Amino acid sequence: MARSRSRGQAQGWLFLAPALLFVALFVIAPLGQLAATSMTDRSLLGGGRFIGFANYVKIWHDSGFWRALLFTVKYTLVLTPILMGLGFALALLVSDNTPLKRLTRTIVFLPVVIGLSSSSLLWFWLFDERVGLFNRLLVDLHVIREPMVWFVSADLAFWAVVIAITWKVVGFGMVLFVSGIQAIHSDILEAALVDGAGYWARVRLIILPLCRRVLLLTTLVSAIGSMLAFDQFYIMTSGGPRGQTFTAVYSIYQSSFVSFRLGYGAALSIVLMLIILVLSAVQIALTARGAEP
Amino acid sequence: MFTRKTWAVLAAALIGSTALSGVASADTATMWVRASGTNAAAHLVDLWNATHPDKIELTTIPDNQMVTKLATGVQAREVPDLVSFDLIYMPDFMKAGFLVDLTADLKADPNYASVAQAYKDIATYEGKIYGAGFTPDVSILVWNKDLFKKAGLDPEKPPRTIGEIHEDAKKVRALGGDVYGFYFSGACPGCNIFTSSPMMVAAGSKILPANGNDDALTGEGVKDVLEAFKAMWNEGLIPKNAQADNGANFTSEFMTGKIGVQGTGGFLLSELKKNAPNLDFGVTFLPGAKEGQASSFVGGDVVAIPAGSKHLDLAKKFIAWELTDEAQLEGLAKNNILPSRPALADNKYFAADPRVVTTAKALGIGYVPWVYHFADMVNSDSSPWINMFQRAIFDGDVDGAIAEARQKMKEIAGE
Repeated sequence: MARSRSRGQAQGWLFLAPALLFVALFVIAPLGQLAATSMTDRSLLGGGRFIGFANYVKIWHDSGFWRALLFTVKYTLVLTPILMGLGFALALLVSDNTPLKRLTRTIVFLPVVIGLSSSSLLWFWLFDERVGLFNRLLVDLHVIREPMVWFVSADLAFWAVVIAITWKVVGFGMVLFVSGIQAIHSDILEAALVDGAGYWARVRLIILPLCRRVLLLTTLVSAIGSMLAFDQFYIMTSGGPRGQTFTAVYSIYQSSFVSFRLGYGAALSIVLMLIILVLSAVQIALTARGAEP
Repeated sequence: MFTRKTWAVLAAALIGSTALSGVASADTATMWVRASGTNAAAHLVDLWNATHPDKIELTTIPDNQMVTKLATGVQAREVPDLVSFDLIYMPDFMKAGFLVDLTADLKADPNYASVAQAYKDIATYEGKIYGAGFTPDVSILVWNKDLFKKAGLDPEKPPRTIGEIHEDAKKVRALGGDVYGFYFSGACPGCNIFTSSPMMVAAGSKILPANGNDDALTGEGVKDVLEAFKAMWNEGLIPKNAQADNGANFTSEFMTGKIGVQGTGGFLLSELKKNAPNLDFGVTFLPGAKEGQASSFVGGDVVAIPAGSKHLDLAKKFIAWELTDEAQLEGLAKNNILPSRPALADNKYFAADPRVVTTAKALGIGYVPWVYHFADMVNSDSSPWINMFQRAIFDGDVDGAIAEARQKMKEIAGE
């Protein structure tokens, strides 16, 4: 009996081995190396000695990094609800499988397959004061009187990036929500209809609760993606004006590859990783608690 | 025992094998070049490959990956035989021991003596030489002759001081509409060290500190330039989009034909000839505060040999060759690229266009700061250099901006 159990256990480990090996090689080992580097004053140009937690102490006093982190959190808090709300609203509109709605889904989803750098560059020029079509559109619609320079103030630059990213990413959330809505059994919706539930009541009391898992997934993906934002700000704002649109990852990039401080950059990465880990855990816990009957 | 025929066959075999071994001994060296220097480097490498049995194989590296790739390459002993990179990284690379000492070879080379002084300075560390000028670029001042004519200015008389730039810009802006007097990329640190710092240097200022005890932003030149730019901004002589331009419009604005005066790089000449052939413009040195003062920023690439190169002799031969008249004239000048030896500015290829000659001569009066942490002090998107420009010109606090930048630069230099 005991022998057969241990044989079963061995078999289990054998099945797990490839996945464990993969995780050890591509997750644990690099993470360990990152943690080790964060304890050194290693430069991109080589060298470096063990300095313990000195980099972490320095981060505590690094107002530039905390400002960038705060900006990143603000970006995440603004962008995530927009992506969720708009993605869900679009999904409600196009969840039926009619040819027109399928076509609409495809069109809205198209920007998702464009590279983030390419789309950022595209929007950078769309916002241009002289040749940008977005400015032209706003002038023609009488929203603004004359073309404006979007990247001249931190607030305008922030909203320019939010608009660009919403266009780029909203289709992803929409597709996930569509799959969630389509997975709801039609009997449930029909029963609600028979019971006299109107459209909004069905959305609020049936569709939304049954899409909770999709909601959690899309919120997590969107929030983590926003906390790791880099390309869009690197290309569209260059962190400007005056460093007011630096994100946390941009700050890590600057430390590691512009200032050559690899050790410090590694420590910043660890701090950011821990912050995202905690935020994600809180988010999952809250959603799980909300899901309890 | 051996017939004459046998001897003949043996002799032929011997000659054949010698010839074959000659072919086999032809070597190939690898070279990395940063993307923005690829065009110029390719002309030189193509000429070398066409005229030498040994070949050079060129690989383009994106500009912002060059430092990382070279640093990791040197540490892993996986380096190219030659590398061409932005000259501002030279002090950091020399100090880190990334490059091969070329002192003996270059000091013995008569062509090296006439290389632009700025290249010699930037490639020297503790008395040793680690590289040579390769594909130069240099900053200049351009003015739009058509706009000058329309504004009632003498189109053949460029501004000779910072004050004259301001005065000419006023008159050009008076033409109205979307014609502006002056342009600079207000959010681009690299553009401004390239085109604005030479005006400060010409006016007697020193810009960057070499170490924590060295002075930064000394002299009145810094203030003179920032005050002039601020006044031009406040008077509406500069387009509004300049404030947010991170370099994306650095070359395109003047090309529209609606800018009177602008500091730019020599590379603009060929772009203007190609994309705006009807634009009548002049080229002069970047001026200082007083007449007769002029300077430029020597940029572009240096060529060096990374430590660990597997074809050291071939790499050295290539560096010696790229300094020869043949390479400088037939490889560079013939393709509208500046030679790194200013003495060759007057050549048959440039003769038809005195603007190119002026640009090539700017190399001879140019400077390049020899400092560590250049990227931190200047090129970074949050550098004290660009913050100083933005605070001084757009916020209007010139003295506060200079004081803040001075302190931060010294902190960085002291690291």
